[in-house]
Amino acid sequence: MKRIVVASVVLCLLPSVLPAGAPARPELALGRSAGYDYDPPEPGSYRLPVIRPAGDGDVLTAEGKKARLRDIVSGQVTILSFIYTRCADPRACPMASGALYQIHEISRQDDEIARRLRLVTFSFDPEHDTPTRMAEYGGALRPAGEGSEWMFLTTRGKRELQPILDGYGQRVDPKRNPLDPLGPFYHVVRVYLIDQRGMVRNIYSYGMLDPRMVLADVRTLMMESSPPAR
Amino acid sequence: MSLHSVVTRALGAPMLLMAVMAAAAPALADETCQSPYMPKITGQEEFVYLWTLGVEGLGDESDKVVTVDVRPGSKTFGKVVHTASVPGRNEAHHGGFTDDRRHLWLGGLDTSKIFVFDVATDPGKPRLVKTIDTFVKDSGGVVGPHGHYALPGRMMIAGLSNNKDHSGRTALVEYTNEGEYIATHWMPIDSETYGARIEKTADGYGYDIRVLPRKNIMLTSSFTGWSNYMMDVGKVVSDPEAMKRMGQTMVLWDLHTRKPLKVFEVPGVPLEIRFAWGENHNYAFTATNLTSRLWLIYEDEKGEWQAKDVCDIGDPAKVPMPVAMSISADDSELFVTTFSDGMVRVYDITDPHKPRQKYEKVIGHQVNMVSQSWDGKRVYFSSSVLSRWDKKDEGSEEYLRAYAWDGKELTPTFDVDFIAEKLGKPHLMRFGSASLYN
Repeated sequence: MKRIVVASVVLCLLPSVLPAGAPARPELALGRSAGYDYDPPEPGSYRLPVIRPAGDGDVLTAEGKKARLRDIVSGQVTILSFIYTRCADPRACPMASGALYQIHEISRQDDEIARRLRLVTFSFDPEHDTPTRMAEYGGALRPAGEGSEWMFLTTRGKRELQPILDGYGQRVDPKRNPLDPLGPFYHVVRVYLIDQRGMVRNIYSYGMLDPRMVLADVRTLMMESSPPAR
Repeated sequence: MSLHSVVTRALGAPMLLMAVMAAAAPALADETCQSPYMPKITGQEEFVYLWTLGVEGLGDESDKVVTVDVRPGSKTFGKVVHTASVPGRNEAHHGGFTDDRRHLWLGGLDTSKIFVFDVATDPGKPRLVKTIDTFVKDSGGVVGPHGHYALPGRMMIAGLSNNKDHSGRTALVEYTNEGEYIATHWMPIDSETYGARIEKTADGYGYDIRVLPRKNIMLTSSFTGWSNYMMDVGKVVSDPEAMKRMGQTMVLWDLHTRKPLKVFEVPGVPLEIRFAWGENHNYAFTATNLTSRLWLIYEDEKGEWQAKDVCDIGDPAKVPMPVAMSISADDSELFVTTFSDGMVRVYDITDPHKPRQKYEKVIGHQVNMVSQSWDGKRVYFSSSVLSRWDKKDEGSEEYLRAYAWDGKELTPTFDVDFIAEKLGKPHLMRFGSASLYN
């Protein structure tokens, strides 16, 4: 029964028919909702200022391979979301992962988005979120073979993690009650839009992760021949 | 097996349902006047921080953050427990927390310096960790950092003036939470509208900032420039030319693109802005300082945003000068303070188009800011407006006054005399609590 409910919710939220001859911006089929009651802007009709260089550091992929974060978030437009898989606060990590899931679903209908956008879900809970756990988490969200690349990253430990969090301005603190039913960490939701040169161009939080708006930003960056000087 | 059942199996149905539902339908709430992106204190606030003007001949004479303990049962309840001075007098005025509420940014309207305090490491002892003294240069000539408003990972600051003519022509300026400059967005003027629709005129002035993310809009209001706010108020009101340089507009912006959409004609200096919180409450209030009117900015049935005055505040003929507001979390009450008569008036705003005054009380010889707790049971008032606009007669006083509110009556709980304590003139108030960080 629960599966039916979940499937119904997903189908209500996403364009129901995968196209032959997909529309130019398939995300617009989502339309307005109570939480996002506006029409998104035309891509390229506005400017996204450079905010900061994207943070860097040593990471582990879901396959357990070592990599540099800078290499992962450069070269194409990237949406990077910091989460931890034990988070049960519906206004926090589940919401961020839900938003990336929606964007990924849309990328399956848009070849350019599928080809030029990369999604990254990054855990700040390395003790619990091992590469194996991130692979499980990612396997649940990401269908194989279709849509944008979606990577699920963690780190070897706190020593590798902290410089990366500092580089993005993402603060994470343990709660006084580690058994808090919403999860053991206090943090604010942060999702970063990073351009082809590895520069942060937008920061999203609760109330901003409208796939129509995020993809307007993504398309705006894809239309740039060169980003504005800082 | 379908995609959805695969997802459900791996993440667990409740988790995925929560994820998708949460992604689809955010509902924002916060302390009654804070940025919706910020964690809120839903229970008892522990400290009140007051950004306080230094006064020549009083204490160390410098601007400072004064921390007052408001924990019920504490041995120091209602007492000053910490002060943190900054160099000199900068015309301490407004400020605001970052979205993670770890830092409190406080502006100086005269020097255009911004002082950044760490309030998370020890919420009872704010500590100055950074001073931004390049605001004018960074922003391309904006003067007087006033409204400091938290957006995700960054601060949006409304200026009051500029370094060319020190008039009210100004801009919004963005910084990262770490204090790195990002961008400047100049207010529309008649000769450069940036695409905005102008109701009557566009003065280009600034003051307060508030956002309504689910409608993707931002509102700004307008005060006056450096040449007026740093002038003795008696000279300002007796100078017809100076009085012409007063804000008379509000600007509706596209929050995401930072483009101005419409310039409302709101004559008489619209100052503080408060959006309602209800999920379907598409409106905000402001009060005009010189004309003593309450204004409603609202979305009409056609989806157009409009501004209209909805009632008097006191007797406008007596120029009570509304200066601050606080809206209750359930959108039922609006507290409005008026500087000249030192009063607070409480309006029933259940019908925002027809506010009805339900209560009034004299708070002091003069009054400025008003802040209420999330549950609406505690209300705090501070006294100072501007160093050269505050009353200078024999009855002048500077204070933090706390009251309990039961919906019918304000009952005093404590009073801090900022002159007797040799602290200065308190202006902006913000709440702190250790519960926000652990």
